[in-house]
This record gives sequence, structure tokens and C-alpha cells, in this order.
Amino acid sequence: MVGTAMRLSRNALSYQNRAILIQYLFATPQLVLFLTLTVVPFFVALPVLFTDQANYTDPQINYVGLNNFTALFTDPGLQAEYLPALRRTVTFVAANYLMIYLLGLSLALLMYEIGFRGWFFTAVYLPLMASGFAIGYIAVMLFAVSTGTANLLLLKLGLIQKAIDIKSGTGTCVILPILVGWRWAGFNMAIFLSGLLSIPRETIDAAIVDGASYWQRLTRIYFPQMWPSFIMASTFCLIGSFGVFDELVAMGALYGGNEEAKLLSVFFFNAAFRSDRLALGMTMALETFLPLVLIGVFMQRLQRRLQY
Amino acid sequence: MAGIVGSYALTKLQVRSIFTHSRQRQLLRIVGTAVMIIYAAITIFPFYVLFVRTFVSTKDSTELHLWIPPAQEISMDAQVGNLAVFYNLDLKRVKEALGIPQTEFLQSRITLKQISERYNIPPERIKGYFAGFHTYNGWITLLSGADFWLALGRTLLVTVASLVGLTILSIFTGYGLAGLRRRGQMIIYNVYLLQMVIPAMLIILPQFMIVQWFARLLPGYDSPGLLRSVIQLLIVVLINIKGGAVSTMIMTSFIGAIPKEIEEAAQLDGASQMQYMRHILFPLLKVPVASLVVIMLPQFWNQFLEPFVYLDQSNTTLLPLIQNLSGVYSTNFQILYTAVFVSILPLAVVYLVFRRFFIEGAMAGAVKG
Repeated sequence: MVGTAMRLSRNALSYQNRAILIQYLFATPQLVLFLTLTVVPFFVALPVLFTDQANYTDPQINYVGLNNFTALFTDPGLQAEYLPALRRTVTFVAANYLMIYLLGLSLALLMYEIGFRGWFFTAVYLPLMASGFAIGYIAVMLFAVSTGTANLLLLKLGLIQKAIDIKSGTGTCVILPILVGWRWAGFNMAIFLSGLLSIPRETIDAAIVDGASYWQRLTRIYFPQMWPSFIMASTFCLIGSFGVFDELVAMGALYGGNEEAKLLSVFFFNAAFRSDRLALGMTMALETFLPLVLIGVFMQRLQRRLQY
Repeated sequence: MAGIVGSYALTKLQVRSIFTHSRQRQLLRIVGTAVMIIYAAITIFPFYVLFVRTFVSTKDSTELHLWIPPAQEISMDAQVGNLAVFYNLDLKRVKEALGIPQTEFLQSRITLKQISERYNIPPERIKGYFAGFHTYNGWITLLSGADFWLALGRTLLVTVASLVGLTILSIFTGYGLAGLRRRGQMIIYNVYLLQMVIPAMLIILPQFMIVQWFARLLPGYDSPGLLRSVIQLLIVVLINIKGGAVSTMIMTSFIGAIPKEIEEAAQLDGASQMQYMRHILFPLLKVPVASLVVIMLPQFWNQFLEPFVYLDQSNTTLLPLIQNLSGVYSTNFQILYTAVFVSILPLAVVYLVFRRFFIEGAMAGAVKG
């Protein structure tokens, strides 16, 4: 009797084991692709970081120790290229981050307070259908120094005295973030709106009954309960804007001679694909982006802990 | 789950609070609606300008154009050199069309009038050839090029193949990880989440290396030809369907929310896991598949970096083609703006037709993270 029960349970166990195995099997095809194309490359590239490999087909590869890692701190020529790019990128990211709140958060609050409007959501979300590449071209179209439509319009209306040049520092660090913010406004609005919608209505009504002003409601009721949204929008913005590339290519960062649009990603791309400094470029990309990845992982953890 | 949360969230917005009817509230509503109208107008404006600029020739681009300019004839006093700069005239094609021997050299200072006199071509014929050239130059040049249509076709092919492949593989992954009840499943899930926090440029530098290794193993990759083109497009598709944070989160959370009892009941009735997926799971997945498609469709259609890196110039999709055109037509922004406009148009139309799905998908994605 006992033996039969044991045999039965062993059978049940093996059946369950098989089911688990089959479940894992289903996850395998995509996992193999993902690991091969995203995770394994990092390990394959690790040895390259200690060599002077110039490009992807370089036949002569020498071991150079930690030179690539220290070059950033010791080579003045490299610093003269890297540091301006870093400075511009940080400015760009900061401006982009500001735009999340200026557009995404304000539009979400607007929609939350006066009720859902389908047509408005449709309009705000529309720019996300344009590619980042197209956004770069639209920036040039609007703010090229002598042919930009927005420039010509603003000059005619007398709102600016001198045309804005998209190929200047202002172009990359002010105009482009505005347009990037405009493109992502719908996306960020959706994030903040879903954060607002997760707030129990009773807490808001109670605050109104108690006579809280709108500002008090925002800072005491809304924002503390929207932390996951803030973290999510910040993560997306941080990773996305540090890696910005398509927009810059369209603005002439690769072939157009637009020096001001050369942010870090353009620098790394050039090092790897165009100027025969592959190993150096990869090392510097890792040095620059690794802290970001760690911050990103931390923020993801934090967000999940807050959500559940 | 994700999509349901999305539409539920939206309907919740329409539930009015007890304070909806105060006068202050009404004022807020009017002002808010006004702000919305203004912002919507600002949002549409760049697209409208882009459309107008497809009809503004480079020659006139230093003037402000807020409406499509009336079609102009090309003056017979125009010099060939200037025309070549502004419109990227292909002189070979011009000579062919006007019946001028290819051996003749057209100086850049020569005017159309002089051509007409020198080669005995009636001015009407020249005017006829250049009719609409001034205004519709961008559209004519772009749409008459085979490159453009091929690139459009490749973009469509890659987008559709990526969407189908990603959907199927993500459902498998979602089923495999459903519930995240075991440690192994949680680890795999976290590996996918990692993709969200790594900048694309950091991935592609080492990825290019490993992809080249694998591609070299395939026959026909090293020499130009159809096989190489197919392999290159396949590489881009494989990168697109490898999955990531968004696809895994949507599918895992939805499939995890399906009661385990349904699968157990199917097993008791003798269904295999494949049969369970085919007859029970797939029909339940319309909502998350719709979310996934509307989130990924713009990303695939608008993809630039991977096609730019992995595809040859002769085998490219739409956006890298525009980048190549900017080298060829460096002085003719009209055609570039036209190409950019055309790259946005199909997706914008799809979006406006299916906007309900896009909005619900966006909200669902936001809820799930």
C-alpha cells in the first residue's frame, strides 16, 4: 500500500519534472538568441580590451596590457577629444531630463485633472511614430541657420534677433533636447498617467476635503505615490539619452562635419567603425557606460521593490 | 493582463470624482482644453512644415514657406550649373531626354535658352521636360528611383518578419517563464530585463564582432550577391527577435496571470503542452500580442543603427538609405525632406487608423514597466 503510494508520487514527480523541463525548453530558442547577441559578446570582447586591435578585420593584434583603460586618464590628445564630447553629452542628458517633467509630467497632470481626451493622447503620442533619425532632420529643417523654417518664422515675428544655428552648441544642447522631449512626450505622459491612476481616489478626495491646496496635493499625495513612475521615466531617459545616436547622424555628426553634434556615442562609433581604434573605443565605451548600467540595474530593483 | 489593465486604467479616468461639478472645476476644464488644443497644434506643426518643405525647392528655401508654394516654371535663362546644384540634375539623363549626343559637353554657365538654340530643340520640349521640376523635384527624384522602392520593400520585410518572429518567440518565453515560480525562471527573467539598461552603442560594438564570426561561417557571405543580402537582412531580423525587457515583461505577466487550473484541466483531458498552447493559450493572447505589436512596430520600422551597421549600401532599408542620399544629394535638401516625410507617412497612417490599440498598448506598457 505504502509502496504503491510512493511509486505513484514518484511518477507524479517525474511527470512534473518533465513538464518543468518542457517549459524551460520553450524558453530556450529566444534565450539562446538573446544570450548570443547581447550577453556573450561582452565576454568575447573582454580579451580585446587588452589589445591594440584597430578594427574588426585587423590581422595584427598585440597585447598592450591596461593601456586602453588608462589612456583616458593619461593621453592628453584623447582627452581633448573625449572630454568635450562628455561635457556635451552630460548637458544634453540634463536638458533631456528636464523635458520629461516639462512635457511628460505636466501633460499627464493636465490630462488627469480635466479627464481623458482621446484626441489629445493621439496627438501627443504621434511624434513617437517618427524615427529618431527623422527628428534629427526635422531639427535641421526647423533650425538650419539660413533655411530653417522655425528660424525664419521667429525672425519674422521678431521673437529672436539672430537665427539659431542647429550646428552650434545651442543646437545640440537646447534645440535637440526640446525636439527629443517632444517626441517622447506621449511615452512619458503614459508612464506618469499610469502612476497617477494607481493613486487611490479616496486619498485625493480626503485631501481636498481637508482643504489642501493643489501644490500640497502634488507634493504630499501625488508624487510620493508615483515613485515607480519617476524611476521608470528616469531610467528610460538616462539610458536613452546617453546612447543617443540616430538624431545626431541625421544632424551631420558622422559625415556632415557638425562638430558640436559629436556626442559620446558618435565618438565610440567612429573609434570602432571608422578611425581604426576599435579596442580603445570599446574600452572607453565600457568605462563610460558601465556606471550607467549599474545605476540602471539599481533603479530597476528599486522600482520593483516599490511596486510590490 | 497588461492590456486589460491599460483599458481599465483609461476607463477609470472617465469616472468622475465627487468634486467634478464645482465652478472652479469647469473653469479648469476650459483652460485645460485650450492648453491641449495649443499643444496639439504645436505637435502637428513640425510634420506640417515637413510636408510643405517637400514642395519647396532648395533655391527658395531661404524664404519662409508656411503653405505649399504655387508651381513655378523653370526659367529659360537658368544656367545648367545652378540647376545641377539645386536639383542634382543627372546630365546624362537630361541629354538622353532632349536628344543631345552624350559626347557633347554642357558647360555649367550655359543657359537653357542657349541649349535650345545650339541644338535646335524647341523651347517647349525643354520646358516640358522641366515642368514641375521646381516644385515636385523631391517627389519625382525619390519616387522614380528604384533604390527607394527596394529600400521600402526591405524595411517592410524586416519589420513584418521581426514582428511575427518576436511575437512567437516571446509567447514561448512567456510560457516558459510563466509565474516565475522557480529560481531559474527568475534568473532568466532578470537577464532579459538587463537589456533595458544597456545603451545600444555598448551592445553593438562587441555584437558586430560575434555576428561577423558567425556570418563568415555561412557560404556566400564573403562575396556580394543575393545570398549575402539575405544573410544580412536575416541578421537584422535575428537581432530584432532576440527579445528584451518589454516583450518578456508583457508576455510573462500575462501568461503568468492565467490560472494554472486551465492547463491542468487540459492535461487531465490528455492534451500535450503543444496542444494546450495551440488551442487554449494562443486564443487567450490577443490582448498582449496587440500590446507587443503596437509597442515594437515603431521601433522596427524606425530602426537605424543595426541596418546602418549590418547592411551593405546596396542592400539597405529606408533610414540608412536617406543617410546615403544625404551624401549624394548634399545640396538638395528637398529630396532629403521628402524621403524623411515618406519614411514617417506609412507608420503615421497605421497609427491614426489603429490609434485605440496604440494608446491602450502604451498605457499597458507603462503599467507593466
